[in-house]
Amino acid sequence: MAMAASQPREEKESEDCSLLPLVHDIIKCMDKDSQDVHQELAKLKAKIQEARELISNMPGVDSSPPEQQQQLATLREQVQTKNQLLQKYKSLCMFDVPKAS
Amino acid sequence: MVRLPPKGREPNMATVLEKSTKERLLSVVDDLEVLSRELIEMLALSRSQKLPQPGEDTQILELLVQRDREFLQLMEVAQQQGKVHQEMQLLEKEVEKRDSDIQQLQKQLKEAEHILATAVYQAKEKLKSIDKARKGSISSEEIIKYAHRISASNAVCAPLNWVPGDPRRPYPTDLEMRSGMLGHMANLPTNGVNGHLPGDALAAGRLPDVLTPHYPWQSSDVSVGMLPPHHGNDFGLEPPGHNKENEDDVEAMSTDSSSSSSDSD
Repeated sequence: MAMAASQPREEKESEDCSLLPLVHDIIKCMDKDSQDVHQELAKLKAKIQEARELISNMPGVDSSPPEQQQQLATLREQVQTKNQLLQKYKSLCMFDVPKAS
Repeated sequence: MVRLPPKGREPNMATVLEKSTKERLLSVVDDLEVLSRELIEMLALSRSQKLPQPGEDTQILELLVQRDREFLQLMEVAQQQGKVHQEMQLLEKEVEKRDSDIQQLQKQLKEAEHILATAVYQAKEKLKSIDKARKGSISSEEIIKYAHRISASNAVCAPLNWVPGDPRRPYPTDLEMRSGMLGHMANLPTNGVNGHLPGDALAAGRLPDVLTPHYPWQSSDVSVGMLPPHHGNDFGLEPPGHNKENEDDVEAMSTDSSSSSSDSD
């Protein structure tokens, strides 16, 4: 249920990133010879700049998806190996202390 | 003329795989900016000049739509990568924690190794001592016998019945020294020494035998074999009054007018 709810939200967020609605608004204003053309153009510029800033600050996009998956696999393997190593050394056989007769 | 960034053909899979998502997104945004500017300029120009364009605006529009779609897809990929990045951060923290656990364990193992090495070394030293002691072992009976010998003269501990005022000492007394060979050789006049009068008086023949002072070495309880190597015997020490030579010497000395009489107690 949560997954289904988050999916439409993500789609809406993706559609919000689209620049086509703004371009469409500009063309409409040009058709009407409206004075709002300049305003719409400014909005488009701002949106593009905003997109660039958003992309620069996004985490995890410094590598391609396959590279990232490889890094993730490496990290998981590291964690597993270190866990096994620790488990091995913690469960080493203790010295058998002979009881005093 | 559409001025697009140099992208004549579609990039191959290898190039796409090498480029990061960030680079691709920024590239697509640049394309969108250029295409939208071109489209708007073209439309403005066509309106002002009232000249029909040969479908170039349609081409640009199609490219614009395509780039926009690509942009949206890449944004979805970027969001997925963001979630993976969060998981990676958690894993990195876990790796750091494990590293610190391993370092702690290493430190403890080193400490244990040091302790064990010290214990083994000390045990080996003890075994060497035991081995050395076994090689030079003597029977306890001999040690006890020797202990008796060296303590029989009361040089180690005062006699049980010793009280202050008792003339006995753990060292050769004045009287004993004078009674020995050195005393005879020096032939010194006897001066009365406090606490040693009875012996002198007896040597001079003034006291009866019943008042003869009894010295520890005269005790008949101690067996001859157990007595230490008594230096008194070496020097010919004898109880005063039992040697006639001593008596003569003392008498000779005492008759000397210049000799002072011994002090009495």
